[in-house]
Amino acid sequence: MSQEDTNQMLRDAVGGFAARDTSIARVRALRETDPGFDRAVWKKIADAGWTGILVPEKFGGAGLSLPEMAAVLEEFAKTLSPEPLNAVSSLAALTLSGGDNEALQARLLPQIAAGDLIAAVAWQESESGIDPAAIETTAKEAAGGYALSGSKRFAVPFGADAYLVSAKGQGGVIVACVDKSAKGLTVDSELRADGTRVARLKLDNVQVAKADIVASAGAGARALGQAIDQTTILAGAELLGVMSRALEITLDYMRTRVQFDRPIGSFQALQHRAVDLFIQKELSFSVLRDAHIHLAQDADALALWASRVKSRCSEAGMRIGRESIQIHGGIGFTDECDIGLYLKRAMVLSAWLGNGAVHRRRYAALAPALEAA
Amino acid sequence: MSSSEISSQPDWNAYDDDRFRSEVRAFFETAYPEELRYPAFFLSWSKTQHWYRKLYAQGWAAPAWPREWGGMGLDGAKMLIFMEEQERHGIGRTPDQGITLLGPLLIRYASEEQKRQFLPPTLSGEYLWCQGYSEPNAGSDLASLRTEAVIDGDEYVINGSKIWTSYAMDATHMFILVRTDKSAKKQEGISFLLLRMDSPGITVRPIRNLLGSEHFAQVFFDNVRTPVAWRIGKPNQGWTMAKALLGFERVSAGSPKVAQNGLRRLEAVAARLGLMEDAGFRDRYLQLKLDIADLASVYDRFAELVKRGGTPGPDVSMLKILATETYQRLTELTLEAAGNAGALHGKVDIAGAPLDILSPFYMSRPFTIAAGSSEVQRNILAKNVLQLP
Ligand SMILES: Cc1cc2nc3c(=O)[nH]c(=O)nc-3n(C[C@H](O)[C@H](O)[C@H](O)COP(=O)(O)OP(=O)(O)OC[C@H]3O[C@@H](n4cnc5c(N)ncnc54)[C@H](O)[C@@H]3O)c2cc1C
Repeated sequence: MSQEDTNQMLRDAVGGFAARDTSIARVRALRETDPGFDRAVWKKIADAGWTGILVPEKFGGAGLSLPEMAAVLEEFAKTLSPEPLNAVSSLAALTLSGGDNEALQARLLPQIAAGDLIAAVAWQESESGIDPAAIETTAKEAAGGYALSGSKRFAVPFGADAYLVSAKGQGGVIVACVDKSAKGLTVDSELRADGTRVARLKLDNVQVAKADIVASAGAGARALGQAIDQTTILAGAELLGVMSRALEITLDYMRTRVQFDRPIGSFQALQHRAVDLFIQKELSFSVLRDAHIHLAQDADALALWASRVKSRCSEAGMRIGRESIQIHGGIGFTDECDIGLYLKRAMVLSAWLGNGAVHRRRYAALAPALEAA
Repeated sequence: MSSSEISSQPDWNAYDDDRFRSEVRAFFETAYPEELRYPAFFLSWSKTQHWYRKLYAQGWAAPAWPREWGGMGLDGAKMLIFMEEQERHGIGRTPDQGITLLGPLLIRYASEEQKRQFLPPTLSGEYLWCQGYSEPNAGSDLASLRTEAVIDGDEYVINGSKIWTSYAMDATHMFILVRTDKSAKKQEGISFLLLRMDSPGITVRPIRNLLGSEHFAQVFFDNVRTPVAWRIGKPNQGWTMAKALLGFERVSAGSPKVAQNGLRRLEAVAARLGLMEDAGFRDRYLQLKLDIADLASVYDRFAELVKRGGTPGPDVSMLKILATETYQRLTELTLEAAGNAGALHGKVDIAGAPLDILSPFYMSRPFTIAAGSSEVQRNILAKNVLQLP
């Protein structure tokens, strides 16, 4: 089967899920709840195979790559489902498989693919830092393993079964798998604009056995960096899904809302606004497509592409969200109008893993080095 | 409270501007509750009535009303100073539409008897008013409103629905535009009525907004009765009366103070996250800072005109566009500056300080929608200022 056929099949499958297993009413009902998503729906997502798309076949996954996961996430994002598909099945799964503990991979990856383990990567500590090595949390070597101390923020999802925590060890960054009920671990939540939650961790001398080290000092920074960059590109695909749907809803509204005896979509001022939003969506689609094409040939450019994709998709998603509200008028400022849900999800996705400004800054830092090479 | 409890007001307009400003400032600084400064969202009557009573006792509840009706009798110049000081201190709006919108209309168009009946209880806060103009199908095109009122004896019988009615849950009364002549041209068949919100046949459906709070509502009218004596002005003159009061509103909506306060919030976020050292951020910050400074220069032009007793022309629309859109961009940059915390709800920890980033972002959205959307303001400028065909 060609990649295009595979992608179309995957998209159709998500369409089926959208029709059967989720709805905007479900999304609304889950807002601000604890943990904010539904484990029964998560199981259905796993049964469909999407939690295992990026998991190697030998560990119970499909062993597919970014374009397939992007196709699923773009469609999945249109449903606004709060289940943390990208965070768990991309970020956590890729962090695990990028690590150097094959026994742990063999133990955890099949569980992730099967939907039995929800793991969150806890790597960020500050509001805007996206360098996985710039952290304060420490890993001290202790009897048969490490003792972790420090704090983490913005880990997705809150309510995970286990956290993959980064920490500074003697020879570099390590990643450790910490059970949610580990002694010395406190997990709080912070509420996001869209009603989902992120975890805030405090680690006070948390003991981790060698067997639970996902990535040792030699492998941690690279495993995390790769996993984060790939997930960042996939977050761009999620943003593309959100903005596409938001634009569709807005165009429909422009066709039906009448003021001054005409559909508001007949006012040129609004037409030009809508066209500009469409162009932003097309730019997002194109940069994502280009990223897939180039990365298939040159995996070394991953970080640069991640920053390009995330910068564009974050800006475009936010802009389409904001201007959709404006085009809706008063009803756009209400909670009962769905368009606000899309704006809020765009806000969340745009801030996650580094917003547009953060990625432009990183792009500037990366680009000259690549040109010189 | 009876009017004898209000302290009598001097002739404020005879004060020099600086002295007036310092008296206003001193009162706000001592009397306004600290916890309500720079509110991030709409304040309900239950939160603000204590403050309103203080204002009332001081005789300052209605700064723009004439002194004979218990106002401060401020002219345009002093009124702008009063409002600048309100904004400088971050004083929140009470449900004040009876004071700011209805009062001036009554003073100009109501009969003596109506003034005696409605102005004192409005001033005291006993009557709280909401504005029933917009309808589900009459927003920007307000003149197409369809809620109708038919005379039956000495009463009007009202049927239809109003929407986006701010403070409808707090209000005891509503001022409303209704269609009283269906055969006339759109603008010429509209009358201006007053009614009680506890009248039989009224249903109020609160509407949750983007912040998650219930500030406005849809109001349904099913054979709601109000006395003919509660009509202000002549029948079918409602549109002209309502329009006549828009000019001053557009100058005050263009005040740069909201954006100046927002700039301080951005500076706090940027300082805490060390962004000022970043050349890219710094340039965007400075661009906004200068946009706000230049907005203030435009505002001053219109303010001076008002202070000289003039009435702003259609070019005042540019002030509303500049003020609201600049402020929106400011809230957007603040969100961006906060990074990951820019998607967190409520008061959040920004490098150790509790700050609410999202509420101002949400609150700034309707500024370009209500009171004449940005598109409508641009239409006015294109047509009436640029005189384009
Ligand atoms: C927070 C809030 C509080 C409010 N409080 C009150 C209140 O207390 N009382 C009250 O009566 N009303 C109130 N309103 C209503 C407000 O006045 C209306 O929202 C406003 O008039 C716009 O109407 P609409 O919402 O129906 O949008 P629409 O008129 O449907 O506009 C939708 C879009 O079409 C655009 N558009 C419309 N006409 C044109 C045109 N000719 N050319 C180009 N573009 C056009 C608009 O700019 C907008 O982008 C409130 C609104 C909000 C958001």
